[in-house]
Order: sequence, then structure tokens, then C-alpha cells
Amino acid sequence: MSEDQPQNEIKPQAKEDEIRIGVYICHCGLNIAGSVDCEDVAKFASTLPHVAISKDNRYTCSDQGQDLIKKDIKEHKLNRVVVASCSPRLHEPTFRRACEEAGLNKYLFEMANIREHCSWVHLYEKEKATEKAKDLVRAAVAKVVLLDPAVESEVLITRKALVIGGGVAGIQAALDLADTGYKVYLVEREPSIGGRMAQIDKTFPTMDCSICILAPKMSDAGRHPNIELLTNSEVQDVKGYIGNFKVKVLKKPRFVTKDCSACGDCSKVCPIIVPNEFDVGLATRHGIYTPFAQAVPSTYIVDQNLCLNKEGIIKCDKCIKACERKAINFDMKPEQLELEVGTIIVATGADVYDPTSLQNYGYRKFSNVITSLEFERLINAGGPSAGHLFRPSDMMIPEAVAFIQCVGSRSDRGHLYCSNVCCMNTIKDALLIKEHWPDTKIYVFYVDIRAFGKGFEDLYKRARKEGIIFIRGLPAEISEDRKTHNLWLMGENTLQKELYKVNVGMAILSVGIEPRRDSDIIQRLLVLSRTGDGFFMEAHPKLRPVDTPTGGVFLAGCAEAPKDIKDSVTQASAAAARAGILMAKGKVTVEAITPRLLDEKCKACGLCVKVCPYNAVVLNKDLKRVDIIEAACAGCGTCGAECPSSALYMRHFTDEQIMAQVDALTEQDADKKIIAFCCNWCAYAGADFAGVSRMQYPTNVRIIRTMCSGRVAPKFVERAFERGAAAVLVAGCHIGDCHYINANVQTQKRIERLWKKMERLGLNKERLQLLWASAAEGERVASKVKEMQTIVNGVTPEEVEKSKKMTGKA
Amino acid sequence: MSGMKAVTVEKKSNLWRKPLDADKTRQLQAEITIIKDRCKGCGYCIAYCPKEVLEESEEINARGVHPPKVKDINKCAVCGYCTAICPDLAIFVKEKTEEKKEAENKK
Repeated sequence: MSEDQPQNEIKPQAKEDEIRIGVYICHCGLNIAGSVDCEDVAKFASTLPHVAISKDNRYTCSDQGQDLIKKDIKEHKLNRVVVASCSPRLHEPTFRRACEEAGLNKYLFEMANIREHCSWVHLYEKEKATEKAKDLVRAAVAKVVLLDPAVESEVLITRKALVIGGGVAGIQAALDLADTGYKVYLVEREPSIGGRMAQIDKTFPTMDCSICILAPKMSDAGRHPNIELLTNSEVQDVKGYIGNFKVKVLKKPRFVTKDCSACGDCSKVCPIIVPNEFDVGLATRHGIYTPFAQAVPSTYIVDQNLCLNKEGIIKCDKCIKACERKAINFDMKPEQLELEVGTIIVATGADVYDPTSLQNYGYRKFSNVITSLEFERLINAGGPSAGHLFRPSDMMIPEAVAFIQCVGSRSDRGHLYCSNVCCMNTIKDALLIKEHWPDTKIYVFYVDIRAFGKGFEDLYKRARKEGIIFIRGLPAEISEDRKTHNLWLMGENTLQKELYKVNVGMAILSVGIEPRRDSDIIQRLLVLSRTGDGFFMEAHPKLRPVDTPTGGVFLAGCAEAPKDIKDSVTQASAAAARAGILMAKGKVTVEAITPRLLDEKCKACGLCVKVCPYNAVVLNKDLKRVDIIEAACAGCGTCGAECPSSALYMRHFTDEQIMAQVDALTEQDADKKIIAFCCNWCAYAGADFAGVSRMQYPTNVRIIRTMCSGRVAPKFVERAFERGAAAVLVAGCHIGDCHYINANVQTQKRIERLWKKMERLGLNKERLQLLWASAAEGERVASKVKEMQTIVNGVTPEEVEKSKKMTGKA
Repeated sequence: MSGMKAVTVEKKSNLWRKPLDADKTRQLQAEITIIKDRCKGCGYCIAYCPKEVLEESEEINARGVHPPKVKDINKCAVCGYCTAICPDLAIFVKEKTEEKKEAENKK
């Protein structure tokens, strides 16, 4: 935001002799002091340039430790602070706050990670660990000298929200936000809100009627003065950034006006008859219809794809004639709405696994093999059988029924993950059958029964008590008796170590949940990330479970991962609360790590525009420069790494600062060292995890933190080699899991270019390594460092000299 | 009599099953009368039929053109657009009466 720029202008550097740094080496009890000589490190730090005082203490993060820093800032007129302790991912905010309270700008603080990256991973090498700690402190001091004070800019938040998806999660989120007092647009692409929950008969573990508890919520959402319901509508485009999204929504015509009284006269005369999606094709509907009795809005809808009246020609006017209230209007046109919202909640739900490909179960081949969703409709009073469960082949009550668990879940023949709800759903369904037809013999074939939630175990016990037979071991095959359409299930009971062959009238495949097949559209529009499973990824799996990496966008329900109704509702309320916090504040501060353009250097080449994952850099042709949209920028720094003329000043991670770190770390014994650039979110966190898990690895690696591996400009790597480093490691999130959408793709390209260059110059390209490691893969980081030892050992002095001379040229 | 005739079931989608109430749903049965010799072969009825019920026949009528013939009566939705659009009043469509249906079933 250009108007914010003046207050954040790059302030001139304090004159060098004015810089006064306070260094604090934390013992962390024995966590650090156990393998690092902290006093020695503190003594060493006092010899570094600009260091005014250097102290070591037991717990720097304690109140006393913080008070000491505050006192020193005032007494010793410190204008920079370095704390060498744990990971900045843990306590950077604590120390920044302490600095701020003492009147020091929080961006003039730097941390050296001598616990997770040093003492914990070198438990038995005190001398070398102490040397490493000194190096890390040296690098932190070198960086802190160059830090600039910064003011975080503010972005105003529009006090309106968009909820995408009108299932139970979307409804709950919309209601919570609307009740708080914010205007909410609830967009649903189906003709009615309600989602999957509306299709289900009963809910576990309380056996409440699903639609009976959902319908009141649906009508609340339908008539809430703060909720604008946009059904039969789809989000087409999203532009903007946190607090200021501009959303285009296509509202498709219903061809039925609000005058509709839902009498159904039109439906009766409609000549089009097709299977009803809501009943999973088990019942029919007409071309003009309402998907189910409790639909909200209750207005009927004309199925545009099937109606004979296309392109404005009325060929069939049966419904028009039948409608007493004259509510049918074929002149309705699609409308494109432009909404301005401050926050977005994604509650797009999930699809159901299609078991057709598991041919041994014979789904679609044998009519009495059904899915659990079909079962819900068959046992539902509003369904095609009016609640009298029967089997599809002859509409008879089956004497024996089998449930088959984990269909499409926990297996490489479907999805690898557990779908979370199927075990309890089956237990509930089995009890429902018992309720309807108590004499039915019920088998459940399972892998494990996962009854983990509140009241789940009780329900499971009740099911066993009522005589439902649980057999561990899925059937290998289902075959059909051609005459009776009964089914034979064959498999192994792995608890009894015996084979079984069971005859049942109907088999229910307990199918898993999978990501929406078209979730890539929402992913692209809102620049979200997805996990390997295909569900949307949260910003942090533990501590920010409903936030997304995109500011102002939150997740609720099955869009994030398979979950039951209770969890979906909980998450929806959480998402509403998170969105509410932003809107209540009315503004948001942006961490001052966004780039500033050095106008005079910019040549408007547009390379940064191409690599920005957030479209936050825009080419300004008139002024022959680029504009940075600060609120959209997430601060990954890949633009800075791409800029050939160093025109992007990446605040807090400037070229000079990173170069200074490289220089400091290569000051001594560079030819034995590995300089590692690790992204804050995955690789650095993975190295932290290696520390927490006490995975031991060689001491010669020195880690430099960048927000994204995409920040690592080739010149940083070249500088490390110039300074004589034996090897360089660049590590980031796995491709596809990048915290900054896809900035690490640029990392890969840059490293590949560097490899080519090294080859051309006759250098051993193995000295530059690229690693993808997630925050949970400490082992990968540790073993990579171990693996690189052979490379480091193989680097000859001649090779080092060669790279000193040659890299950087050509 | 198959109740499926007007129910289109897509094989690929998850709506592959024959709906359980397909037999009970009232199916429209059409009766199409074509007065062949009135037809001048303009082809409007074939082109505009929303359900593609009609096609050109091979026979030649009194006016020397190919009149339409019914390709698939079960598809007809009795919308009556062919009747409305025919310039020569040569085609009429109406719903089969219950008596006629019963009589046919007895046969």
C-alpha cells in the first residue's frame, strides 16, 4: 500500500560507532549449558565488534531474564540485542516484546539458535558444540548490526465475510459470524444448502435424526437478516488480499421466482424424469424440482441442463401452465455479482469414495452391494423406501447384512489415510438396522475399529451387546448367487486365523471420504496449499488449525480433512471466531518483512512479477518500475532472489544481512563447513525437530534462516563458495507443500542453474545440495548432514581455491 | 413395459442405479400422428425436437419429399413443439389416454 510507505521508509543506518549490542547467552538450565560452555561463548561475544555487553544466564526467557535485557537496554543504551538460546520459532516473539517494552524497536533484535541447532544435536561434543555456538553468535551479531528498525503497516479489514459451501460447517460459520453482527455471503453451488448432513439419516453417537437437527439451522441461515444466501451459485474469481477481497460470484438462474409456494404442481407435469442426486440416484426427480423436502430456499428450480426450453425458446410450457402463482419465468438470466469481503471461510466439504474400481467387491455389478451413503438414503424416512430398509434387487428385507470397513481408506488401492467417520457410521447404521428389523443378522468386517471420540466407545459396546458380529479381516471377494441375488463374502478372520464364507442378503461398503474432485479451482482462486492427500492445508497443524497460509482465509469442515459433524461444527465456529477477530479489530498489521523497492535500481524487467506466488508485485509501465502490494505480500522473498539488479530490499532478510551471516560463518575453517540455508517453515523447523528429538549429526553445519528457500539468491551460494565453504545445502518445503504456495519451484530452478554453472566451471556440483524436508522430517535433515560428510571430506584445498577464484565470474 | 424409458441414467456418474421408484413414476406416453402427404419436407420438426424423437424417413410422399418418421417414441416428452412449428399442419402429438394404454397392455 503506497500510502503506508513513508512511515516505513528505510531509515538511514545508525553510524557504526553508535551501534551498541547486548548479547545474552542462555544456559536453558542444562539444555544448552550441558554441551556448550556458555561462559566461554559470552566471553567470546564480548570481543566481537560493537558488542557493548555480553552476559550469560540460566533462563533468558524467564521474567528475570527479560527484565535484565530491559534494564540493560536503558542502562547501557543498547540499540541492538542478540539472544543466543532456543529456536526463534519458539521465543522470538517473547524477546521482541521485551525489547519493545524497553523502547527498542523489535526489529533490532536477532536470535542465535544454539539449542535445537547446536547443544541438543551435539550432546557429546562439547568443544565442537561450543565452537559452533560461537559461530552462530558471530553470525547473529553480524546480522544485527545491519538490521533496520521497522514499523508494521496496517491494512483495513472490510467487515463482511464470504462463506464458500453451505454444508453444516458453512451454515454454522455463517450463523456465528452473522450473529456477531457481520454481513455474510453464503455461497452454495447446489440448489439448497444442507450438504452431506442433510442426506444422512441419524448421527452418531447420540442417534439424533440428522435433518431434524439440521433443518432449524438451515432455516435460521435462510432468514437471518445478516446472511445473504446465494444458492445455485459459484465463486468464479477472487482478487485482493486479507481484508480486501473482491469476489466474483456467478448466480445461475433458478427460472422460478420467490413467489413459489413449493406446492409441487409443476413437478407433477414435468415430462423430464431423472435420478435424484440427493438420493444418490435411488429415487427419481423431475426437470423442475426441489432436491428434498426441507430444502432452503424452498423455491423450486429448473434443471437447466435437462429442461426442453433452451436458448429462450419455450418448447414445453407444462410447468408454466400448472403454476397457479405464475412463479415460473424462463427469462431469468445468470447474474454476476461482485462482492467485497474482508474474510473468507472455505467450507467446500468432501466427496465420497467411488468403490467401482475395487472390482473384488462387485459394486455396480451386484445390485445388493451398496455404499454407506446409499444406505443412509435407504433407511431414511424421507428416502426412496420411506424408511423401510430393503435391498435394491427385490425390495425385500435382507435376513443378514454385512458391513465392509475401510473401503477406499487406509489402503494403497484407495486412499492411504483413515477417513475418520466410517467406523462409527457403520456402528450407528448397524444399530439402526437392529432398530428397524431386530432379527437381522449383522456382520461388520473391519481392520481396526476406531471409536475414539466422546461417547463412541459406549456406542461400540452397545452394538456388541446387541449381537452385531465384528470380524477382523476384510473379505477378499464378494460373489453373487445369480438366482437369489444373495452375496457370498470370503476372507480370513485374522483374530481366529480361520477362513470364513458368509452368506448375506446385502453388503454395505463403508466408503471413505475424499477431497472434492474440483478443489483445485478453489485452491487456485484463494492461493491455498493442499496436503499430499489433497485436502486443504492449515497454516499450522497444531496451533493454527483453521487458518490457511493466505491471510484472511480460513478452513472449516471436511475441506480440511475428513471429520464428523461435531468436529465440522466446532471447526466452523473456530473459523468464524478467527475471521471475527480480524473483522472486530478492523485492521491487521503486516510483519515488516515485505520488500521495499529501491526505485533507482529497478529496471522494470518484470522478473519479480513472474515469480511472485501472490501476484503482489505488479509492473507499473508508466513509472517504469514495479509496485508492491504490501497487504498481498507474504514476505517469502523470492522476488528479491530473482531481481538481477538488487532493486528489492527484502526487509529483515536483506542481501547485505544474509551475506554478513555467510561471511561470519565462513570466517574460520570454512573448508570444513557446510553452510545451510533453511526455510523457516519446513527445513528450519525440521532441523528444530531434529534437535527436539536429540538426533545427533556432525557439528560442521551452520544454518542460516530465510523465510522461504525461494529467498536464497544464487549470489548467497556463490558467496559461501567464494569464502571457501566446503559445501552448501539449500533446504525447503517439499514441492507442492511450500508455505508460499510454489515459491520453492523457483528455488529448484535456481539450484539447477547453479549446478550447471558449477559443472561448466569444472567444480564438483555435489558440493551444492538441495533438500526437501517437512517440519516433521528432522531425520531427513540429520541424515542429509551426515551424508554430506563424505562430500566435505572429499573437497581438496585445490578445489576450494578453484571455487574461490571462479565462482561469481562468468 | 420398462419404466426406465424416460429415465436417463448416466453410466459413468455415481447415479448409475435404476431408481427404485422408476416403475411407479408416471411416465408420459406419446402418440404421434404424421400426415405424410401434407409434409413438404422442410425438416423443422426434426431439427427443433428437443428430444430428437424424429428423423427423416426413406419413403417418398405425394409431394415428392421425405416425410419424418418416429425414431424413438419413448423419448417424446409431449411438448407439442413439432405441432406448433409445422407450417403444413402435418404432425400432431398428444398424450396416450389411459384406456388406450390398457387396451395395448391387454394385447
